[in-house]
Amino acid sequence: MDAKEKNELAELVEFLKANGIVKFEMEREGRKVALEFAGAGGIDAAHLATLLAAQGKAGTAHAPAVATAPSIQAAAAEADPHAGAHIVKSPIVGTFYASPSPDAETFVKVGDRVEVGKVLCIVEAMKLMNEIESDFAGEIVKVFPKAGQPVEYGQSLFAIK
Amino acid sequence: MLRKVLIANRGEIALRVISACKEMGIRTVAVYSEADRNSLHVRFADEAICIGPPRSADSYLNVPAVISAAEIAGADAVHPGYGLLSENANFAEVCRASNIKFIGPPPEVTRMMGEKSTARQTMKKAKVPILPGSDGVIASEGEALEWAQTVKYPVILKAVAGGGGRGMRICRTKEELPALYQQASQEALNAFGNGDLYMEKFIERPRHIEFQVLADEHGNVMSLGERECSIQRRHQKLIEEAPSLQITPKQREEMAKVIKKSLKDIGYWNAGTIEFLMDEDGQIYFIEMNTRIQVEHCVTEMVTGVDLVKAQLRIAAGEKLDHIVPEVPKINGHAIECRINAEHPEKFTPSPGKITVYNVPGGNGVRVDTAQYAEGVVPQYYDSLIAKLICHGKDREEAMNKMQRALSQFVVQGIHTTIPLHQKIFADEDFRRGDFDTKFMERFLERQKGK
Repeated sequence: MDAKEKNELAELVEFLKANGIVKFEMEREGRKVALEFAGAGGIDAAHLATLLAAQGKAGTAHAPAVATAPSIQAAAAEADPHAGAHIVKSPIVGTFYASPSPDAETFVKVGDRVEVGKVLCIVEAMKLMNEIESDFAGEIVKVFPKAGQPVEYGQSLFAIK
Repeated sequence: MLRKVLIANRGEIALRVISACKEMGIRTVAVYSEADRNSLHVRFADEAICIGPPRSADSYLNVPAVISAAEIAGADAVHPGYGLLSENANFAEVCRASNIKFIGPPPEVTRMMGEKSTARQTMKKAKVPILPGSDGVIASEGEALEWAQTVKYPVILKAVAGGGGRGMRICRTKEELPALYQQASQEALNAFGNGDLYMEKFIERPRHIEFQVLADEHGNVMSLGERECSIQRRHQKLIEEAPSLQITPKQREEMAKVIKKSLKDIGYWNAGTIEFLMDEDGQIYFIEMNTRIQVEHCVTEMVTGVDLVKAQLRIAAGEKLDHIVPEVPKINGHAIECRINAEHPEKFTPSPGKITVYNVPGGNGVRVDTAQYAEGVVPQYYDSLIAKLICHGKDREEAMNKMQRALSQFVVQGIHTTIPLHQKIFADEDFRRGDFDTKFMERFLERQKGK
């Protein structure tokens, strides 16, 4: 990869990060780029295509940008750094909130020690605030979702060691 | 038009709805259980949300999970498919309360048609012929004889408190009625603590005939003709066809008028099917209404050229019926559907597992609706339908020949399927002649045992 291509790639990465895009694939002039970001948030394909077109980054004739159907969960997030940690997963579909109310402090933060039963967060579903309790005792090493982020059944919420 | 639809279902029908939406530029959201993570309906939707563990009760039937998914995805409508939540009036109400458009009739209508006795009363009021029944307890042998006289034999005595075939007696002559009455009553008393009986007309060799309807939200109703679904095993349909060889064009027209009026009266909208039994004299009687799209909707699509799922979406978006189906469609040719299940073709034991080879037939007038694929897994948690094979020909003979050819090219390995069973049925003389009723499969399987 030459310097020009490296610059283009760096610009692309910044663009994707700034717009919260989790996964991206593109083929252009015989080169293929596939990127996946650890971390949360997703954006849908149509929005991505619009953003790219607006920025003039749409590829040449033979292969349009392809964004894979995003599942809200970011797969990379639970990998190496938290090997051996217990992952608290969401038992329901809804919206994740780290604090009991917008101005209040978060229920827990990285570094806190928690017991089984400690309320870690709220997942709101159908206007009901469901408190999610810890099923493991230990130290919080990672909080996966951002406040206000949609989560699905089984999605990783916290890593506890 | 609808902007984003969440499909509250799985398997082939979820893919069917997703495909229709895609063709109409509507964005799609799939929901799935952990067992369906690698399904085609998940793969081909624009967005997908995991809503629970494998068991249906915890996932596909979990109303809060489905609604929550619709909320976080910003869906403006939900298509419930068939089975699962499609005829759950509660679910339709929750959708309405959550400002999500339910693609189907209003909850009040679903509830009304879901209750057997209210459905019968409703249809009776609308002058739809219903299977004669003694709307109430038959208190004595004398009353029984009187009632049977008016309705004509054969009749069936049934326990008011009962089910499962107990407290039931079929009676074919007035001579045997008093004794059978006593037997049924005693059996019911022993089984359910209540010896009360009611009676219905009994049809020895019924044919199952159903009519497809579409209605918009402006009071316009249309019948799209009938299907015959007499090939059933234990009340599960195996083969369906359109049109029925038993229905004349005149009858079709008459039924269309009656259906139009009755559905208008009850305030029905979207797609639905009205089911009838036909007796040996060609008389048809209402038995129930299904307030949803059905598995076998495809055969109607093949003979009318109307895309029923797209019609559902357009109706839900508020379009008028005469824009969707400008004129009553002519019935063109003949279509037959075989339901291919993941079951042993003789023992009917379920056969979940990994499919190693999956060669789907094609060709002129051959349609396969399936969400399975080679290397795909058929999970053990849901119903066994893996594909629908539909063949359309200029007449029944051509449709049957195509079906035989297509069945012979439908290769599935790794699991058992009912493809060999269908091949035997299509070679059967009675079936080919169109000489059957809902007891056909019993007789057919007996004949097979003999071989």
